[in-house]
Amino acid sequence: MRYYESLYIVNPNYENERLDKEIDSVSKKATELGFKSLNHKPWGKKRLAYAIDGHKYGAYIIFQFETESVSNLSEFERFMVLNKSVIRNQTVALSAKPEIDEAESSLKTKKEEGQKIKKNAQNNTSIDEQKNNEE
Amino acid sequence: MAFQSRRKFCYFKENGITDINYKDVKLLKRFITDQGKIMPRRVTGTSSKMHRKLVRAIKQARNIALLPYTAVSTEG
Repeated sequence: MRYYESLYIVNPNYENERLDKEIDSVSKKATELGFKSLNHKPWGKKRLAYAIDGHKYGAYIIFQFETESVSNLSEFERFMVLNKSVIRNQTVALSAKPEIDEAESSLKTKKEEGQKIKKNAQNNTSIDEQKNNEE
Repeated sequence: MAFQSRRKFCYFKENGITDINYKDVKLLKRFITDQGKIMPRRVTGTSSKMHRKLVRAIKQARNIALLPYTAVSTEG
């Protein structure tokens, strides 16, 4: 079994939902090609060291996978190059099996966490308001 | 003249680093010049084996736009 890591840059102007869609489409293609996904998570928005297609910023996404068939890698590369929302991609071989993140920090979970925090914040503010009113 | 040359040492051997990851930009930046060029081994003192790994990592980082190919001055 061989392990690979594909780091790709997506248009930074995409909203979280669109980003999720792109991640899903890449995952779908990978499973079609017989890759087993280990980690697939956004790495964050970063400033590019040089402008690519007029973009100065990019949303980096890390995709680590394992596969037995090496022949499908070129097909995957082709898919990534033809994918218009992917600005740049690079797949490198890993020497050892990568650690799998138990708490998969996908955007979905982050969103849920964000909503929870927002709710808590709202609750706190409402409590504060109540306190103020009582006073 | 009592010139005392600074002791050269391999940064990676000294710190027990065996693998260099291209995503570790902070580390890689120590070994490139302001212009973005890879610093020679005679300057950094890196061992031959680790320098080869370092060069590979820097080139991978350049390809994915984590490090510049040249100084940013060319950018409009």
